[in-house]
Amino acid sequence: MPKARRTAKPRARRSPRVSHLAHRQRALLRLSTGIAGAHDEAGIFDAVVNGLHDEALGYNFLALFLVDPTTRERVMQSFVGWSGDPRLRVAPNAGLSAQAIADGKLHYTPDVTRERNYVASLSSGSEVDVPLKVDGVTVGVLVVESSEPNAFNAEDFEILTAAMDQAGIALARVRLLSEERRRADEHAALFDSMTAMAGDLELSRVLQVVLDRAVALLSSTGGEVAIFDEASQDLVISASANIGKDSTGTRLRIGEGAMGHVARTLEPIIIPSYHEWLGQSPKYADWVVHSVMAAPLLIGKRLVGAIAMVHSDPERVYGAEDLRLLNLFSPQIAVAIENARLFTESQRQKQYFSELVGNSPVAIVTLDTNKTVRSCNPAFERLFGYRQEEAVGQVLDDLITTEATRHQAEEYTREALDRPIAGIGQRRRKDGTLVDVEVLGVPVIVDGEHVGPMALYHDITELLRARQDAEAANRAKSQFLANMSHELRTPLNAILGYAELVREEAEDRGLKEFTPDLTRIASAGRHLLTLINDVLDLSKIEAGKIELVAASFPVRRVVDEVTATVQPLVARKHNTLSVRCGDEIGAMHSDETRLRQVLFNLLSNASKFTERGTIGLEVTRAGEEMMFAVSDTGIGMTPGQQAKLFEAFVQADASITSKYGGTGLGLAISRRLCRLMGGDVTVDSALGRGTTFTVRLPITARAAGAD
Amino acid sequence: MPRILLVEDNEMNRDMLSRRLIRKGFEVDMAVDGKAGVEKGRAGGYDLILMDMSLPEIDGWEATRQLRASPETKTVPIIALTAHAMAGDREKALEAGCNDYDTKPIELDRLLGKMNALLPPKPA
Repeated sequence: MPKARRTAKPRARRSPRVSHLAHRQRALLRLSTGIAGAHDEAGIFDAVVNGLHDEALGYNFLALFLVDPTTRERVMQSFVGWSGDPRLRVAPNAGLSAQAIADGKLHYTPDVTRERNYVASLSSGSEVDVPLKVDGVTVGVLVVESSEPNAFNAEDFEILTAAMDQAGIALARVRLLSEERRRADEHAALFDSMTAMAGDLELSRVLQVVLDRAVALLSSTGGEVAIFDEASQDLVISASANIGKDSTGTRLRIGEGAMGHVARTLEPIIIPSYHEWLGQSPKYADWVVHSVMAAPLLIGKRLVGAIAMVHSDPERVYGAEDLRLLNLFSPQIAVAIENARLFTESQRQKQYFSELVGNSPVAIVTLDTNKTVRSCNPAFERLFGYRQEEAVGQVLDDLITTEATRHQAEEYTREALDRPIAGIGQRRRKDGTLVDVEVLGVPVIVDGEHVGPMALYHDITELLRARQDAEAANRAKSQFLANMSHELRTPLNAILGYAELVREEAEDRGLKEFTPDLTRIASAGRHLLTLINDVLDLSKIEAGKIELVAASFPVRRVVDEVTATVQPLVARKHNTLSVRCGDEIGAMHSDETRLRQVLFNLLSNASKFTERGTIGLEVTRAGEEMMFAVSDTGIGMTPGQQAKLFEAFVQADASITSKYGGTGLGLAISRRLCRLMGGDVTVDSALGRGTTFTVRLPITARAAGAD
Repeated sequence: MPRILLVEDNEMNRDMLSRRLIRKGFEVDMAVDGKAGVEKGRAGGYDLILMDMSLPEIDGWEATRQLRASPETKTVPIIALTAHAMAGDREKALEAGCNDYDTKPIELDRLLGKMNALLPPKPA
């Protein structure tokens, strides 16, 4: 050995005493235990060298070399008794130990001085070279030297060979472990990068990468990965590596071919010779392939795809070890497929929602819990004039409120953190102009956490303008009707007044023959006046212009007043009036004037259609309601007539107007007034058997809108 | 003979009503708007004033308030006449200082009843 300085002392030959033997046994046991317990290559080498250096064994110069697979040099790994370069490299053919490397056998040199190939500086002595083998392949050598010639015997060869055998086994084991660890590390790195890729790569590209790695790591010729398509229940080949054609896109039915087979059984399969296999698919008939191995890709028990590895070398048949490695791969590919599917789905969902928000005609803005803008949609940008980049990060209420509306807006925002809100208000655009909006706010809750509200703004400028226009038009109509009514009544007053005046004058002068005609003028004039008043009333009710003037009044007073007013009408056709209303009936809180109007209408109607009969008014109290029943013994009505009774301008028969007079509006007005007071009026009648109208009103009128 | 002031802007109504009242034995003076009504009312020493509410210049309610504010006419009975049979008109008229209120078209007997209730009893 070049530049080596021998420090090894001559080995003392010891007598085989019992105690000495026991020492050796214990030393050999320590050696074995040390080798078996080593975790890596360096540990094994140190255990060998230090174990053999044990005093009981007495080896004083030991050096363990490994062969560099590339340069074939021997590289020193561990040593005892050597003070030179600890990473000494010895050229392939130099030194005595080259022989042990070359033939894999133990070599003993009893006297080194006789060997031409001896490269060390030792002037004399002996050397043993023991090969180190892993799985039958020589990977290194143990060099043991002594300064004495003939220092080693058969017992030494036995001990040293046993030590090297144990070291070889241990080395094979740690190499296998480190190889697996390396693969595992590679997988981990691979799938880490895949997870990162999933964000911006389509699945087929990810699968291609993974498949290529699987083919390389399994030393296969080629392979395929198929994805299970839930919709068609087919396997769709999504990545293919070196199988003689690009098979991507090919569809396999469940049960078809090796992947179809495992997709059905959900168990992996090894096929020693594909073309002798009964399950082969015609799609692979021209395939130069021998051994095939396939495994299902599963998420739990759900099939997401299949993977196949192929060999075109007839000598190579897949075995249990290959299947074990493939089974390391397949769950990760399954996860990749599932992740990609979930990612695609979530992307679609995200896109769907962003389309919804983006295309919404309603302005939408999302806030964080600090009330600053997280995002807004194009409608928001259009409505308020802020671009999203300007709005994001700003406090919303700083952007779009005015002095006057800020308080309300902040209130809304604060409330919307916890619960939905809705309201109408005015907001400010970027250019300072104001816009009337309907505001809706809802809290957004993700995984139970309030992440800030979402607000929707709907521009109601047009709506408000339309409403104001409609209100103005309605006011104009009401004003018109009021004016019209006044304008019509003024000349009518004159007509009625002069008719009266002339009648009085005529009577004074004894001209009695004019009286009937002048009476008719006055009568027709009064009818016209009633019509005008009724039309005005109805218009006002229908325009929502009549408001209840609710006050408390004794019911009995209204009844007395109405019956007194209607008495002349009742008497005109020789009817009798029967009133049943006790003092105990009490008071109501409602619109007295309107009640009087309704009762007068019904009583005057009854009087009109009854001759020589009885008109009844009965007031009763039923719980929270007051009932006024107005009955007559008159001509009655058919069900068909009753049905149209309360419609405006409808009397039971057109001929009735001419015979009985009236506007045909009285009942329509009565019904609307009753409903305005929170009640109603109904009719019960039979032809020839009289009619009863029943008014039912709440004793305390509710605030009711127009009919 | 009771002296009546009729404040009414409509010529026909003024003519018709005054003639009917004269026939019933009243002495009737007339004014055509609220302003003239107030002036005549203060100067005339009338027994009763019939006041239309819809008047040019100043309306009947304002005219009534002005008459009530003058010592000469503070206690003269005033009856409001209105074409609108609207809820609230009666209250509005009484609030302005009218003693009573009647609606057009005039039913003479009804109006006379209200007038007689406000006029001093006729000398026997």
